[in-house]
Amino acid sequence: MRSLRKNWDLYLLIAPVMMYILLFHYVPMYGLQIAFKNFTAVKGIWGSSWVGLDHFERFFNSFYFWRLIKNTLGISLYELVVGFPAPLLLALMINEVSSRRFRKVVQTVTYAPHFLSTVVLVGMVLMFLSPQKGVINHLIQLLGGHSIPFMTEPEWFKTIYVFSGVWQSAGWGSIIYLAALTGIDPGLHEAAIIDGASRLRRIWHINLPSIMPTVVILLILNLGNIMGVGFEKIYLMQNNLNKESSDVIATYVYQSGILGAQYSFSAAVGLFNSLVNFVLLVMVNAVARKVNETSLW
Amino acid sequence: MANQTFGDRFLGVAIYAFLSVVLLVVIYPLIYVISASISDPVPVINGSMWLFPAGFNLTGYAKIFQNQEVLIGYRNTIVYTVLGTAINLVMTVMAAYPLSRKDFSGRGVITGILVFTMFFSGGLIPTYLLIKNLHMINTVWALILPGAVSVYNIIIMRTFFQTGIPGELQEAAAIDGCGNLQTLWRIVLPLSMPILAVMVLFYSVGHWNSYFNALIYLSERGKFPLQLFLREILIKGEMDEMLQGGGTMIGQDQQLLEAETVKYAMVVVANLPIFLLYPFLQKYFVKGVMIGAIKG
Amino acid sequence: MNWKKSTSLLTASVLLLGLAAACTDKPAADGNAGSNGEAGGKEAPDVSTTGFPIVKDPITLNFFAGQAASAPPDWNSVEIWKEYAKMTNMNINWQLTPVDSLAEKRNLLLAGGDLPDAFHTARFSSVDLANYGGQGLLIPLNGLIDKYAPNFKKLMEKYPEIKKGLTMPDGNIYSLPTFYDPDFKSVVIGSELWINKKFLDALGMKEPTTTEEFYEYLKAVKTRDPNGNGKNDEIPYAASGFSGLLDQLKGAWGLGNRGNTHSRVDVDPATNQLRFIPADPRYKELLQYMNRLYKENLFIPEILTIKGTEVLAKGKEGLYGSFMYTNASTFGDHKDDYIGANAFTGPHGDRLFSRARSPLVDIGAFAITSKNKYPEATMRWADYFYGEEGSTMFFMGIKDKSYIVKPDGSVDYTDEYKSNPEFGKKYVSWGGGYYPAMLTAKTFKGGESSPENLEAAKKIEPYYPKEVWPPFTYTQDELSRFTSLNTDISTYVDEMTTKFITGDAPFTEWDNYIATLKKMGLDEYMKIYNAAYQRYKK
Repeated sequence: MRSLRKNWDLYLLIAPVMMYILLFHYVPMYGLQIAFKNFTAVKGIWGSSWVGLDHFERFFNSFYFWRLIKNTLGISLYELVVGFPAPLLLALMINEVSSRRFRKVVQTVTYAPHFLSTVVLVGMVLMFLSPQKGVINHLIQLLGGHSIPFMTEPEWFKTIYVFSGVWQSAGWGSIIYLAALTGIDPGLHEAAIIDGASRLRRIWHINLPSIMPTVVILLILNLGNIMGVGFEKIYLMQNNLNKESSDVIATYVYQSGILGAQYSFSAAVGLFNSLVNFVLLVMVNAVARKVNETSLW
Repeated sequence: MANQTFGDRFLGVAIYAFLSVVLLVVIYPLIYVISASISDPVPVINGSMWLFPAGFNLTGYAKIFQNQEVLIGYRNTIVYTVLGTAINLVMTVMAAYPLSRKDFSGRGVITGILVFTMFFSGGLIPTYLLIKNLHMINTVWALILPGAVSVYNIIIMRTFFQTGIPGELQEAAAIDGCGNLQTLWRIVLPLSMPILAVMVLFYSVGHWNSYFNALIYLSERGKFPLQLFLREILIKGEMDEMLQGGGTMIGQDQQLLEAETVKYAMVVVANLPIFLLYPFLQKYFVKGVMIGAIKG
Repeated sequence: MNWKKSTSLLTASVLLLGLAAACTDKPAADGNAGSNGEAGGKEAPDVSTTGFPIVKDPITLNFFAGQAASAPPDWNSVEIWKEYAKMTNMNINWQLTPVDSLAEKRNLLLAGGDLPDAFHTARFSSVDLANYGGQGLLIPLNGLIDKYAPNFKKLMEKYPEIKKGLTMPDGNIYSLPTFYDPDFKSVVIGSELWINKKFLDALGMKEPTTTEEFYEYLKAVKTRDPNGNGKNDEIPYAASGFSGLLDQLKGAWGLGNRGNTHSRVDVDPATNQLRFIPADPRYKELLQYMNRLYKENLFIPEILTIKGTEVLAKGKEGLYGSFMYTNASTFGDHKDDYIGANAFTGPHGDRLFSRARSPLVDIGAFAITSKNKYPEATMRWADYFYGEEGSTMFFMGIKDKSYIVKPDGSVDYTDEYKSNPEFGKKYVSWGGGYYPAMLTAKTFKGGESSPENLEAAKKIEPYYPKEVWPPFTYTQDELSRFTSLNTDISTYVDEMTTKFITGDAPFTEWDNYIATLKKMGLDEYMKIYNAAYQRYKK
């Protein structure tokens, strides 16, 4: 109790943020109903007719439902396994560079691709992988192999998607870890050097544990976005031959919107995604709590 | 001793080598984009231009800058970004600091309330109605307030406060008579320069690239941000547009080809200013000055 | 428990405030415009039924329009609209929104009760029209057309398909369309299949008229070096994807006899029932033909991933034996090498031009809302553009400024217009399409009016389908089921079609394919389709 009175100013501090959240996020939440109704603009959200789980059923009954789930989750997990460690490794390495100039150059250059628009990025990827004139296939042929038509083979799709994503965002993602690494007491390293620890051991025993809380939090948040494979990049890379591997929930919803008036349906699918994400987050957070002291709440 | 120095040196060299490769692999698309923005469109389209510009053609940039609205867009975007980021930063700190304090009761619940909004949202229509009823349509507030703070960022900043600022330091300050706010202002924030710099970067980039809210809420062209104008210029050349529409305008075919260079020029024009922000902020990524203060 | 109390008080007040602000979600229609057009039926005393001005005292109306990227960004300053305001005595306040946010913005406006007086260049789908019309947001136009739209009324009488295509399941018409004069075939078709005349001559072949001749031609282009440079670098067929050629060739197997707006459904002449083209045995033959072309490398490499702009750019090299697009005007020195292809005769003797679009290109181009206090005047305003005079003004602009009248009476753009697309935008706003107007050969001089296009169109005229369906309309109940079936079936058909052509799926899989279609609910899909068709026939 005493802490409550002692910290009244902290409550005051956070109050405006809470008000903002309440107003702009909780008040509009009545819109979630759209997923259970047949929304028509005229009747508005309250007035539209209730259809219960119809939209969800429609989604679950789609011929392609399992394919969509498989691809969406597959891509997400693949991204996590490859794309999550990459920025971390990059940050740890950059942190070891003593030349300030080289550091600055590497940091600036690696973070730049983040700014390329998806359209430009995909255009470049397609160009490099072209079986006829792409750089990659030239290399393959030089090494004696046959040209691979990457974009029309379903087996390659996820790999291309994930690795081009790493290419684009590893540098940007490393920024947070670099910031975290600056908070490490240099005294710790000095002591370790005196004790004879090699650089590698120092990285492993000092750097990594010090930024572990950040890593864990980011991991939890990432897992909580597992259904969130975005639309644009997939759509640009998709074609009829690789669709078995590239058809995801977001592109499916887009397809069904072509005839028009699919507001409620996309709301329902969105709600389903959010629910899965949220449940996963709660579970992962619970595990994190048991395992270490860092967790979301 | 000799072994370790060798091992360390080997690691050092290996790291340098690896990073150099990374550098080359990553710098390539950047060079490509710049080259493509000043090349003739045809070699770019058929892929024969792969590193250095083929031909010299500034129509991409010309088309963008001919449009005076682009300058208006720049001005607007700068205003929105500065204003928006300032608000974001303040709000984020105001939430992250209390949540980082172990003695702040209720932080679990509050965090839960915040995190819930990352997953569930009412959607565009209720938000639009809210904005409308608050009379914020077609104002700068419609662009800034709905996204006034990001829960994701609050959590990251909270994590930083928790791990980067030693609890003993704050306790010592309290004993010395500092109130919570003073502790925040005098001790925590100065030690948090890196994370503040990161937040400035994240939020600024977010504002700079945003266009959707402007698309929905703004109707006056004089208020449009840069991205909106650039998208107009870009889509002009897209092919699907033409095949659907009623009749092709004469000369549109030429526009199609030029659209390729415009695309790349646009990436440069749109991103150069914000891209320069990070090198500028890098000087704040300095080890906390007062870490030694605890020992002392 | 002080803080708990104050926090909950705070929370409650914020929520209440917010809910109050957010929940003024009033239904937008007040429905006083009547449900069957009666309000517009009585003579409004100060609206003239012919001639200009339309109203004696000036009125102002708010129009909401979709702005495509190729259209000017502000229509209030476009010359024809300024001129027309003077002529009609009606001031239009143009509110534009970029096309990619059009549907969103429209929904938001309607949800918030902010109706404009009319929607222009609106891109309403038939689903939207049935929806909004049924809810009373858009008013029925039947009576208004009768009394206040002399031009459009004449068109409806001449072309009964207009009325059929615009009428919604409830019997009302809620919109005015984009209408292409059916006689102006080249624009109705849009893009053509072009054949390289220079190559034909070099090979000593005559223009192909059957599918086998086309195959022989393509083969010859690939193997006999018609450009004479010693390399087999020619590309027999260039396009982005297979769909263009598929649509073009299906007529040679008698498929697609009701036009290409319904690219997967037509009528089986043997049974007079609806036929799902991709499940027909003749479709299999078509795919086998395409597969042959593919296996022998007669398509541009990477046809599935190449982008349209790249195909166009490559055209400059003059290597194409055939391609599909509006015309060859971007091919530089090679732009005159091509002639339009004819409709081909297939193995069973069919000769049909299947890529025929409906002249009712877009049905939801213009609609009047229940908020409009002057529906009669608005109808007159819109009607002008369905007559020759109005159509000329809409497409050509202002006489002597953006177009001239030649001694033979025909019109053409001024040189200034032709050389600078930005100039045109000061005068006209039709870029991007989907406008409520009638487009005729006399009044439109865009890309499709070139002599080559006109010639090509003349060639295929005899093989044009006798009846071309416009889009059908579906009832609310049918819609959700239809959409989900349509999405799944279309995805499957598209994927399998591509795979059959490339050989990724062997033709032994055909029966499996048909079985899967049935499993997906093809029969139910066709039943709904048929219901819509029956409604159309009435």
